[in-house]
Amino acid sequence: MAIDTKKCVGCSDCVVACQTENNVPIGYCRDWIVEVTDGTYPRLEIELRSERCNHCDNSPCVRCCPTGASHYEKGGIVTVTHSKCIGCGACIASCPYDARYSHPDGYVDKCTFCLHRIQKGLKPACVSVCPTKCMYFGDLHDPNSEVSLILKKRKHKTLIPEAGTQPQVYYLI
Amino acid sequence: MREEIITSGRLNPHIDPHLEIWHWQIPLYLFLGGLAAGILFFAALYTIMGKEDKYPGAVRRAPIIVPFLLILGLFALFLDLKHKLFFWQLYTTIKFQSPMSWGAWALMAITPLSIVWVAMHIREFFPKWDWKYDLLKDLEIEALKYKVHIAWIIIVLSVILGIYTGILLSAFNARPLWNTSILGPLFLTSGLSAGAAVIILFAQSKKERELFIKIDLLLIVIELFLITHLFMGFLASTSVQIDAANLFLGGQYTAPFWIFVVILGMLVPAALKIMELRHFKIPVIIPVVMVLFGGVMFRFIIVFAGQMSRWLY
Repeated sequence: MAIDTKKCVGCSDCVVACQTENNVPIGYCRDWIVEVTDGTYPRLEIELRSERCNHCDNSPCVRCCPTGASHYEKGGIVTVTHSKCIGCGACIASCPYDARYSHPDGYVDKCTFCLHRIQKGLKPACVSVCPTKCMYFGDLHDPNSEVSLILKKRKHKTLIPEAGTQPQVYYLI
Repeated sequence: MREEIITSGRLNPHIDPHLEIWHWQIPLYLFLGGLAAGILFFAALYTIMGKEDKYPGAVRRAPIIVPFLLILGLFALFLDLKHKLFFWQLYTTIKFQSPMSWGAWALMAITPLSIVWVAMHIREFFPKWDWKYDLLKDLEIEALKYKVHIAWIIIVLSVILGIYTGILLSAFNARPLWNTSILGPLFLTSGLSAGAAVIILFAQSKKERELFIKIDLLLIVIELFLITHLFMGFLASTSVQIDAANLFLGGQYTAPFWIFVVILGMLVPAALKIMELRHFKIPVIIPVVMVLFGGVMFRFIIVFAGQMSRWLY
């Protein structure tokens, strides 16, 4: 996934769409908006980011999970098998992005990139509702996918790459 | 100036610390597990060395509390789980990359073995004990025949258990305070020290008591050495780890850590132990309780402070 920080207006539509699509319990969320302000008035610079699980290639959550409930799906998406999760919290403690939460039903929950929609050929809920079309989703292994092409063109960054997790959500800057 | 705000609603443990995922259950278990590992280590060690009759307190008497410690610890772990009815999923896989997985397996092995060990020495406490069933009597004879072999298995498992309580935390690179390999040996040493302290209470002779006072003293010195190394490593590392160390060097955990863990849990009992060895009259229980208290506080502080330390982005 690639997210254009220049186009994002921080409207939180993606947050609400995700909560609705995935039946996220009230008070919880799988994605959220961060507003970063740099500088002193009147020279201010704002960066808006829609953040979520980074579906890292070297996921500490998958590594730490004692039962294999947290795992990589084919294609690299990180998901949790609810019936295998014992709710020990190791993955929550291991995530540098704090992208996971303990669902009131006991298991651990997080962004799945709307796997159930992708399998039907749809885009994740957050991507499809974004009013500024600032999110790009696709297969990073495919050099001709929309997301690969935009990453070739635009300057981008990932969040705390120094944590060694190889995050797969890219922010266009 | 740089300001970061989460503008959409979000449950966040860095804003509301009560949302932290691990509460009292994990540090309590880490302490009980470490203590059990410490007691079993010395029981197995002196059996293997053939000094069982010289140190009966360590080999035969102290391990009686181990099954209780382990079961209490396992119960605390169970309470920590949020999806409790699925706990058996732990035993459907072995994941070598996950310390929690092989810790769960090590516990699965060492808990019954500790019960066997207690059963082998039950006459130490109840001289007229009768197993009633022939099968159990035969099993006891068999177990006693292979006592040294069992001791070897226990000593290996107890070291795994002791180190695992530390490695469990150091595997999390998201929490810079935990993300140091010193935590493994440090927790092992702390567990051995707590184990030696408890054995002092069960010691059967002055000689045995003095041996374990000396052992505990040595372990406390090693612990202090490892803690120094821990902070040296942090302060020479990246900014997130310097921040983590600063939680104890001026930050909010400074007073509890240095007062409860280092002074009351290590330095004062060490001084009392030296006085005991110099034949001053000091109630045996005081330094023992202080060492155990230091061990408990150490784990609570590391677990809670660790969850506050984080990467910044």
